[in-house]
Amino acid sequence: MSRAWKMGMSLLGLAFLVWIPFSGIGGGYLQTLGFLTFLYVTLSTAWNIMGGYTGQISFGHATFYGLGAYTTSILTLRGLNPFLTIPLAGIVASLYGLLWGYPCLRLRGQYFAIATIGVGEATRLLMLNMDDLIKNNDWLKGFLHDGVLTGGATGLMLPTPPDIRSYALGFYYGAMGIMFAALLVSWKVKTSKFGLGLLAINMDIDAAETLGVRTAYYKNLALMLSALMVGICGSIYSQYVFYIDPQTVFGFPMSIAMVLMPTIGGIGTLLGPVLGAVVYVVVQDQILTANLEFGDFKLSLSSLHLLIYGGLLVVIVLFEPKGILGLQKRLARKWAKRKEDSRERDDNAARVR
Amino acid sequence: MHIDLPALIVSAILLAGLYATMSYGLALIYGVMKIVNLAHAGVMMWGAYLAFIFIVNLGMNPFLAPVLIVPTFFFLGILLQRYIVSRIMSAPPISSLLLLFGVWLIMQNISYLIFSGDTRAITTPYTLSTFLVGGISISVNRLVVFGVGILALVSLRQFLGHTYLGKAIRATAQDGEASKLVGINTQWVMEMAFGIGIALASLAGSLMALIFAFDPDFGRSHLLKGFCIVVLGGLESMVGVALGSLVLAIAEALSVLWIMPAMQDFVSFAILVIVLVVMPGGMLGLLQKFLKT
Repeated sequence: MSRAWKMGMSLLGLAFLVWIPFSGIGGGYLQTLGFLTFLYVTLSTAWNIMGGYTGQISFGHATFYGLGAYTTSILTLRGLNPFLTIPLAGIVASLYGLLWGYPCLRLRGQYFAIATIGVGEATRLLMLNMDDLIKNNDWLKGFLHDGVLTGGATGLMLPTPPDIRSYALGFYYGAMGIMFAALLVSWKVKTSKFGLGLLAINMDIDAAETLGVRTAYYKNLALMLSALMVGICGSIYSQYVFYIDPQTVFGFPMSIAMVLMPTIGGIGTLLGPVLGAVVYVVVQDQILTANLEFGDFKLSLSSLHLLIYGGLLVVIVLFEPKGILGLQKRLARKWAKRKEDSRERDDNAARVR
Repeated sequence: MHIDLPALIVSAILLAGLYATMSYGLALIYGVMKIVNLAHAGVMMWGAYLAFIFIVNLGMNPFLAPVLIVPTFFFLGILLQRYIVSRIMSAPPISSLLLLFGVWLIMQNISYLIFSGDTRAITTPYTLSTFLVGGISISVNRLVVFGVGILALVSLRQFLGHTYLGKAIRATAQDGEASKLVGINTQWVMEMAFGIGIALASLAGSLMALIFAFDPDFGRSHLLKGFCIVVLGGLESMVGVALGSLVLAIAEALSVLWIMPAMQDFVSFAILVIVLVVMPGGMLGLLQKFLKT
């Protein structure tokens, strides 16, 4: 594929994305799907900085998502302008990343992953019970507003704006902008000295340390950057759906999604997470509302997408660890080689004649 | 605040037995292959659901169900190891983690598909029966699980210490290459160890189904606690697992004195993270470090 061809296709794709809200396909359905896709692409790209470039697989990224969502919600309910809370949410998530990242990043590979599961669940429990924890403490009681800080299991509800259509439109383009910003950040990281350091850490952390890469510093920085982006996404999510609860934003399924998307798409690459996220959102959307009935025996398809992804994950780990993108590159190489071989054969045949 | 300390201690000990039962399988697989078996949670959950089918739908005696379930999962474990896990033995450990995570996802969502997300519980004549020992009422189910935990510990010690396969497993755990050199078929040993580990997980699951309500998500918190126990107990021994279970159970039980019961799991997960960071060598490793200094 020549460069001009690629450029043309990308511009066409971009034009399509910009046009979607005006097309009115499905009465705004495609627009909501688009928003979700942009959000998930950003999440996927953010996780990839930690899991793909640095090689530290984290099953606890939902903590950042939830913290971003809750920071925004809590501050908005106390009168702060929601848009101001977006960077704040990112910073809070980032600092939390530093808090648990600093001790946990000493762990290698699978132990770090297990620790992140533990941190994820612990954070969810903490946020679930936060109100009950502080309401009896005279000193901390001041944080409660209307008797609620995190709202426990019932969650927090944000006030909806009067003009929902233009609001949603604004968020569509906003999320698209953030997605491109995230991709830009990811690309910048990948091509910078920082990214090279992360890659070195991924390949062989001891060798990297010996060569002078400040591994601890880089790992923590990567986690903070990843957390920042995920936190911003959480903030945006809460402002779009106006309701959050610990089970959704801090839940293990959220962390799982963030692991699955880049891993299936192509871990460690720039566009792999994009591919994985798009596939994830589209498949989930198509399956989520379906139902299958065999007479009395009813199959609930609401989790079928996770079954598919579990299977995909197994297949990918076993046969193509580089994900769909890796598979595509492998096939492209085979195709190019075949062309080369057949061209050689033609040349040889021509020479013989 | 009046706290019935003896009752607390007794329930902690019974809980420790339960925790130990669910951790043996994890410890065995981790010890031999250095693989964190995330599918352990899925197997426990499937063991629970299978027990549900046997007991509720087929009317089997609740303590007989494990007898059928355990051998089934033993063979499933061998198949899993032979055809799937063995392929990534040479890859970095994170691959096996992701692989088994995928297997767990598959197991979880097959359950969601077939059973839906409704919480199930098994009620038998034994469910609410307790008996009094010195003023403390002990639930029969929990006592049985505790008994099985002790029995498992004893049999595992015998097995690992005095049978060929047991010793071969320990040898492979210590040094795979050296084991091959002395003529041990490490491939077969790993298959057996994996099978036994999975079987133990299903045993735990089928028994815990009698005590806890469960849904397809069952097993996740238990998996985390189990891994905490495995790290606490060090890698070498099943007795370590038992001791680790005791430590965790007592920590959980005592934590009720200071924090809300709903935060008990939080304590366990916090301990998991602390244990991973502070003492990778387990309690014994920590002790050794102290003794050296």
